[in-house]
Amino acid sequence: MTRIAKGIPRGASIAALAAIAMLLVAACGTGVSVLQPPPAATEQGKATEWLYQVVFIVGVVIFFFVEALIVYAAIRYRRRKGDDSLPPQIHGNNVLEVIWTAIPVVIVAVLFVISWQTLNTVDAVSANPKLRIDVTGFQWQWQFTYPDQGVTLIGLPDKEPELVVPVNETVQVKLESRDVNHGFYVPAFLFKRDVIPGKTNVFDFKATETGVFDGHCTQFCGLLHSKMLFKVRVVTQQDFDAWVAQAQATPTPAPSLTPAPSASGDAGGGGGAVQPVALQLTAQNIAYDTSELSAPAGAPIALTFVNNDNGIPHDVAIRKDSPTGEEVFAGEIFPGVATKVYDVPALPAGTYAFVCTVHPNMTGTLTVQ
Amino acid sequence: MATTVLTPSTARARSGLYDWLTTTDHKKIGILYLASSFLFFLVGGILALLVRAELAQPGLQYMGESAYNQFFTMHASVMLFLFVIPMLAGFGNYVVPLMIGAPDMAFPRINALSFWLLPLAGVIMMLGFVLGGAAAEGWTSYSPLANSKYSPGVGTDLWIVGLILIGTSSILGGINFLVTIFKMRAPGMTMFRLPILVWTVLVTSVLVVLGTPVLTSALIMLFIDRNYGGAFFDPASGGSAVLWQNVFWFYSHPAVYIMILPAMGIVSEIIPVFSRKPLFGYKAFVFATAAIGALGFSVWAHHMFTTGSVYLPFFSFMTFLIAVPTGVKMFNWIATMWKGSIQFSSAMLFVLGFLTMFLIGGINGAFSASVPVDFAIHDTYWIVAHIHYVLFGGSVFAVFGGLFYWFPKMFGVKLNEGLGKLQFVIMFIGFNLTFFPMHELGVAGMPRRIADYSPMAGWNDLNLVATIGSILVGVSVLPFLWNVFVSLRSGERAGDDPWEGNTLEWATTSPPPPYNFDRLPEIRSERPVFDQRHGLPGPAAGH
Repeated sequence: MTRIAKGIPRGASIAALAAIAMLLVAACGTGVSVLQPPPAATEQGKATEWLYQVVFIVGVVIFFFVEALIVYAAIRYRRRKGDDSLPPQIHGNNVLEVIWTAIPVVIVAVLFVISWQTLNTVDAVSANPKLRIDVTGFQWQWQFTYPDQGVTLIGLPDKEPELVVPVNETVQVKLESRDVNHGFYVPAFLFKRDVIPGKTNVFDFKATETGVFDGHCTQFCGLLHSKMLFKVRVVTQQDFDAWVAQAQATPTPAPSLTPAPSASGDAGGGGGAVQPVALQLTAQNIAYDTSELSAPAGAPIALTFVNNDNGIPHDVAIRKDSPTGEEVFAGEIFPGVATKVYDVPALPAGTYAFVCTVHPNMTGTLTVQ
Repeated sequence: MATTVLTPSTARARSGLYDWLTTTDHKKIGILYLASSFLFFLVGGILALLVRAELAQPGLQYMGESAYNQFFTMHASVMLFLFVIPMLAGFGNYVVPLMIGAPDMAFPRINALSFWLLPLAGVIMMLGFVLGGAAAEGWTSYSPLANSKYSPGVGTDLWIVGLILIGTSSILGGINFLVTIFKMRAPGMTMFRLPILVWTVLVTSVLVVLGTPVLTSALIMLFIDRNYGGAFFDPASGGSAVLWQNVFWFYSHPAVYIMILPAMGIVSEIIPVFSRKPLFGYKAFVFATAAIGALGFSVWAHHMFTTGSVYLPFFSFMTFLIAVPTGVKMFNWIATMWKGSIQFSSAMLFVLGFLTMFLIGGINGAFSASVPVDFAIHDTYWIVAHIHYVLFGGSVFAVFGGLFYWFPKMFGVKLNEGLGKLQFVIMFIGFNLTFFPMHELGVAGMPRRIADYSPMAGWNDLNLVATIGSILVGVSVLPFLWNVFVSLRSGERAGDDPWEGNTLEWATTSPPPPYNFDRLPEIRSERPVFDQRHGLPGPAAGH
């Protein structure tokens, strides 16, 4: 009777083990693409990718080993109907316990050492990088400055900024934040580094292939964190030089979407028959000081725009009907503390929205009547 | 002392609601903890479903970024501070005095205060939703984002005040547990005869008493920064943004162990009973628990590897090292089942679920100990998968195991086993559908805490799968609610000891009388009730 009873669970446990073995084989068969990071596009990323594979394989082996023990024990030693016997009361086994303490110690020690070695590769910073780029994060955009080339790019909500770098050259990135914590993350580089106010972080990368790679802010930074995107375009040295030359020829930072209105230090008469109307708008603490402005129809507006946010870029754009409507005026983006006065052309009667294109949450209504 | 008997009929009136509101009985307070935590579990769960609904497809379908950010922030805050921690404290409250043969906690009135601070704190935190927006900076509330300049709403202040109250509740509870365990043990209940759950509550209480004041200080500093012109965390005025992360994680990493150690304790009570064997390697288990508690204070900066502000090799090594005592526990549990006589009760099923899920949560966490790998996966959905495999697959599965295990003791009736198994199957499948795909999303580069993602990123299918899984998890709670309802009305009578338990709570009636015991069995091992049942001598002194 006991012999038969023992035969059944053994069959069941063998079946369970077989099932787990098949799962393991299946996992290895498809494992090439399951739970794998994107192919690394930098030298540093390739080192991380190798390390990830090692940790991954160790993790998978440990999982299937331990899980097999759990499943085997649960099935093999399940209580049979009517079996009311007390199994042997084993309280422990010192040899076993030393073994299953020592083996994990060895495994984690090895993983620690190879991680540290890889870290030294990934974290190495060159004294002579081929190209330096200053990356500044702010709510909720990026500014990329090439100090040696004199090129600056700022992202806009409808146009994410593109970091252009040459392939096979060491690029050094300096990260700074103007407001809150951000995170500079390129999945294909298998790398991120926090962008922290009051602290400058520096890292190097050497792209190994050309292409365009997505980048995200990964440190939660407030309302539009999910929109704080960028791209990295890796090009040949030739293309890079051409791009720099073109960028240098274009005036920075080029945010204006309509022909740039004249911005001047003085209000100026504008020369029209109708006297301009003076309006003032202040940006402070990432908000406009008012949500309501009004102006008479048909009169030009002298708009004094004060940016009181130290180091934070703002602008003001006027759009028809809603913050996403047709643009009738756009000022330039500039960091505070500073003031600009714009000549806004006369507007027909109607409702307009004024909006900061850097911070789409900064909006208000301009009523022209 | 403050109460005087007014009329003879008071005794009768006190048997109802008034009694529950004024009780100092650890068992009633324990049940209040469990009930209040479960309500917050439902609230946090609804917030999670809202988050998952929005993420099911790219684009913003149901809410804007502002609402989304509030929902994910409050989901985590509610689940961690108003569900997991108090839920486990509730088990401790109910079970610990019984397990050590004590009539009550050492300070019954402080115990009542610890509990009543929680619903108050919960209401304060949630008030933000009706006062112009709840906190929306994530449960980590990183400064300067959490400063008034960037988060001017009152929701963040309410969040801080609520959290300080919860911290106060935790500290009072921790001290109460420590005094109870050290001073109130029955004769014969030596430290090495304490049930493992009591040991885990003890170590947890040490973590609470050492760690929580640090968080409370940090929260007060943040409150000063926000409201009284302080600049502790404001780099523009000489403060430090990284300082917040250091003090926050100095508490909040040990807090992860506060949220898992008692769950391990629950598992360590259930496995021996349903395997009919003693816990394998009792002392190794105790030392492993203490080691996790001690190491838990030296790994906080693994949350900050990407800041460029911590000494990476040290925290990497300590983080790897903490896997060792955790592994010891896993092998002890399996060895306890080995050659046992395993009964697949609902409680045991949830514990088997715990073993598998926690195994995954341990392994996917070890990835983050490897600093370069952490550079790749930090702040992505991999981390979301990791924390949920530990705290949902781990703690929540253990909580349900514990509810099925101790419900008969608390109410004198068993929960329905069929409904329990149904719940387990739906929850296990739903949980894995929700969280396993997040590993893949994470390595593919999907950042956490984003309200929206590009349809071109290749994340659509897995997000949809995760949302479907989350609906299953939500559905799985329904059989449990129904189970509690029908069992309380007409459940199977449990008797004093329905599971053939090992520990002292099974030596008294179900539910136990006020002050718990008329007389205690002789305590000669960590399994006095087992010894009484089988007439076996306890293991020799010192094991």
